[in-house]
Amino acid sequence: MPREIAILDALVPNLLPVFLASVVVHVVLDRVMAWCGVYRHVWHPPLFRLSCFVCMFSACGLLVLR
Amino acid sequence: MKLQVVVRFVFTIAIFATAIFTGKKLWDRYMDSPWTRDAKVRADVVNVAADVSGLVDRVAVKDNQLVHKGDLLFVIDRERYALALSQAKARLSASRAQMGMKQQEAERRARVDVAVVSVENRENARSQADAAEAACQEAAVAVETAELNLKRTEVRSPVDGYIANLNVHRGDFASAGAAKLAIVDKNSFWVYGYFEETKIRLLHVGAPVEIRLLASDRPLKGHVESLARGISDHDNPVGRELLSDVNPIFNWVRLAQRVPVRIAIDNVPKSVQLVAGTTCTVIAKPRPSPPYRQATM
Repeated sequence: MPREIAILDALVPNLLPVFLASVVVHVVLDRVMAWCGVYRHVWHPPLFRLSCFVCMFSACGLLVLR
Repeated sequence: MKLQVVVRFVFTIAIFATAIFTGKKLWDRYMDSPWTRDAKVRADVVNVAADVSGLVDRVAVKDNQLVHKGDLLFVIDRERYALALSQAKARLSASRAQMGMKQQEAERRARVDVAVVSVENRENARSQADAAEAACQEAAVAVETAELNLKRTEVRSPVDGYIANLNVHRGDFASAGAAKLAIVDKNSFWVYGYFEETKIRLLHVGAPVEIRLLASDRPLKGHVESLARGISDHDNPVGRELLSDVNPIFNWVRLAQRVPVRIAIDNVPKSVQLVAGTTCTVIAKPRPSPPYRQATM
């Protein structure tokens, strides 16, 4: 897999689009989880949300940098 | 109620721990593995100069053309060197005649009785004949030199490669030794990966490498050929009087310097055109285990 992607002819590391995509996915997931009431069953919602985001971004990043 | 609190706590901490673990993995993969986006394709570039001076009579190649070893590149005006050859040949004839005369003289004097020709005279004649023979040899070498010069008016390619930056035209004056065109050696392409000094310890000679050219989607295979053993020290230029001129700055934030690592390209597919100077990304396989451990096993 290439390690960079051309955005308007500027080559940036692949991690940047991965990060942006993770943010979008996380926003959606956050809404869904809030709607389902998952946050009532966790100890510290902000920590949980941050951890979810880091997990997702890192997993995608590791896939891309395989 | 109590159990529910514990479950909530454990669930959150588990996700948190996973986040730390995968985050660390990603960090290591990105920051602590031997790869660099700062790599360049390189090739041996031969600067071709004429061996003899003169007007350029004919240019036999075009810019960017593929040439083979021994192909004609350009021709220097031959006339002057043809005349020089004739001159050298004439001098050779003259010195041959001179040598013949001196040798006959010496032989004649050697045959004549001592009462007629003195010993001194006879010895002088012999020496003069020897000197004439040496002069004749010198003239013969001068002819060969003139022939070589005449041959060198045809400048030929020393390697298989591509003409680059052709800047010689009919009527130009080519000085001996001044480079007139460059040839990129077709069989010499390699990659210079500029790795941060922090990553050098992860590399070893022979490690397989993946090369990704910006110019192509197809990754190339290669291996680490060698690591540079010196880069210049920016903080210590030599001042006047040869004393060192140490820069009195210490930066809070420092950038790892780059060390060139030479990477041999194992094979190049036909569809990939390598261009010396273009950018690529280099991903090396990290060292499998520390060398001392291998040594003890």
